[in-house]
Amino acid sequence: MTPSPPDAAVHVRDLRKAYAVHEKEPGFLGSVRSFVSRQTRLVEAVRGVSFDLHPGEIVGFLGPNGAGKTTTLKMLSGLLHPSGGEARVAGFEPRRREAAFLRQITLVMGQKQQLIWDLPALDSFLVNQAIYEIPDDQYRATMREYTDVLGLDGILKKQVRKLSLGERMKCELAAALLHRPRVLFLDEPTIGLDVNMQESVRAFVRDYNERHGATVILTSHYMADVTALARRILVIDQGALVFDGDLGSLAGQARAGKTIRLQLRSPVTAQALAGYGQDVSVDGLSAQLSVPRAQVSERAARLLADLDVADLTVEDPSIEAVMADLFGHRTPPAPAPTTLERA
Amino acid sequence: MTRYLRLLRIFTGATLSAQLEYRANFVGALLASLGAVGVALLGLGIVFGQPGMSSVGGWSFREALLVTGFFMLTEGVINVFIEPNMSKIADAIRTGSMDFTLLKPIDAQFGVSTRYLNVLRVPDLLIGLGLITSAASGLSVTLLGVLGAALLYASAVVIVYCIWLALSTTAFWFVKTQNVAELFNSVFGAARFPVSAFPLPVRAFLTFVVPVAFITTVPAQAMTGQLAWGVALASPVVAAALFVATRLFWLRAVGSYTSASS
Repeated sequence: MTPSPPDAAVHVRDLRKAYAVHEKEPGFLGSVRSFVSRQTRLVEAVRGVSFDLHPGEIVGFLGPNGAGKTTTLKMLSGLLHPSGGEARVAGFEPRRREAAFLRQITLVMGQKQQLIWDLPALDSFLVNQAIYEIPDDQYRATMREYTDVLGLDGILKKQVRKLSLGERMKCELAAALLHRPRVLFLDEPTIGLDVNMQESVRAFVRDYNERHGATVILTSHYMADVTALARRILVIDQGALVFDGDLGSLAGQARAGKTIRLQLRSPVTAQALAGYGQDVSVDGLSAQLSVPRAQVSERAARLLADLDVADLTVEDPSIEAVMADLFGHRTPPAPAPTTLERA
Repeated sequence: MTRYLRLLRIFTGATLSAQLEYRANFVGALLASLGAVGVALLGLGIVFGQPGMSSVGGWSFREALLVTGFFMLTEGVINVFIEPNMSKIADAIRTGSMDFTLLKPIDAQFGVSTRYLNVLRVPDLLIGLGLITSAASGLSVTLLGVLGAALLYASAVVIVYCIWLALSTTAFWFVKTQNVAELFNSVFGAARFPVSAFPLPVRAFLTFVVPVAFITTVPAQAMTGQLAWGVALASPVVAAALFVATRLFWLRAVGSYTSASS
């Protein structure tokens, strides 16, 4: 079901962005040449993207580097003016950057920071409280909630420059969400963090989404972020949306088959398994191979019949394998496949 | 309006606390201020120290000292209020932290113009005011002259701000624009002398092309009662026109913002 624009938290139709970029030959001579006459080329970063998000939905936004994810998020948050198409977020046109719109959204960028470097994070929070005109009682309640969920105790009064990357990211999140936005654009919020920190960022986003019914678009290089938070996935490649559906059907889109894992009672060689599937690997008594989705039950039955199998499991390919499969071949993007199912 | 005053207070508090973190800086800044006033006075001394030189372009030593006072005061205004903010615009664009300014529900021009203060250069302001007071004490100055000078100087500050903002805003297209400050300073250096001390073509340039004349010469003339009404009116008009033009230029620049990648 596609929500009609007035109900959608995010409504995007045929959104486009083209940049003029300078091109320069490497080396000093190239620099001189480019200083005298600049060669510019038009790059289409986003080429006609369309989707709608329900209020309260968490969506994972995936794609290789340079696919147009960040550009799309920046257009949706009003930083960049689209070169074509339509975008509405929380009922507003982002490019107008109305104050009422900016109060309802936030953009968290894992690689940029807004906290004042030389002061404790609390000082930055006070600046944001004034900017967003957050009443004192709401500010205190929000701080209590975030301190609790993010574990901010003891780090708020340290200068930001003395915080670890993980501590700083927690404070960045709190600063960016202090005004309790209804639409969250999270661009690589866990980049560079260790596994524990990633998990607490995820827990915070999940908690915020449940508590406040916020709509979330999340991009990440860590598949765990996406699989833990989002049921619906948008995949963008070379500026075009190539997939919109749930995680399970994304695996189905890929040509990668399912993985069969075997525990054997007696050793076999890789050659012996070659007839049953591809990508065979054998490690002592365990082995794995991938088989086309349509033939999973037939191959499994043959393996069970032919070999001395102690245990057999069938797994969906990892999301990494699916992404590698989708983008590894660099074929020109096909027309966007039809939407299979909405979470 | 009260909201923006409150924001000014919060911004000032934050920027002051940040600078108090680095105490050693204070000494260096104080020396820089004293050095600047030394250079300005030395310039006057060289000009008026020549035998038979009692006036330059019709300005007596004390009147010229008044101009130098306004020059130092303006240096202070630039160093304390304008430059700390403007110099960060290009950086913010290059690193992408301009994103955060543009995402806030306050006027972005207000945000980039008021966010920082450099308290270390407050002595510049005091030295400027001191020079003006001591120069004026030896001249016949009326209350009307002082009020007129204050009003015209306010226009002058607006003009200076607009020039800086316009130059810094070009960073939205050119990204690296540190030389822009140099460009301003090289022209502004001329403001330490009365414009009439320069040959006519230069005088015209400093009045109509880069309105440096309005910054120091015009307030000084107002204070000594030598100002024609037409010029007195021109200053606020120029300030208002520049402010509107700069505002439009800023809005255009924000519209073509490309944001640094991730």
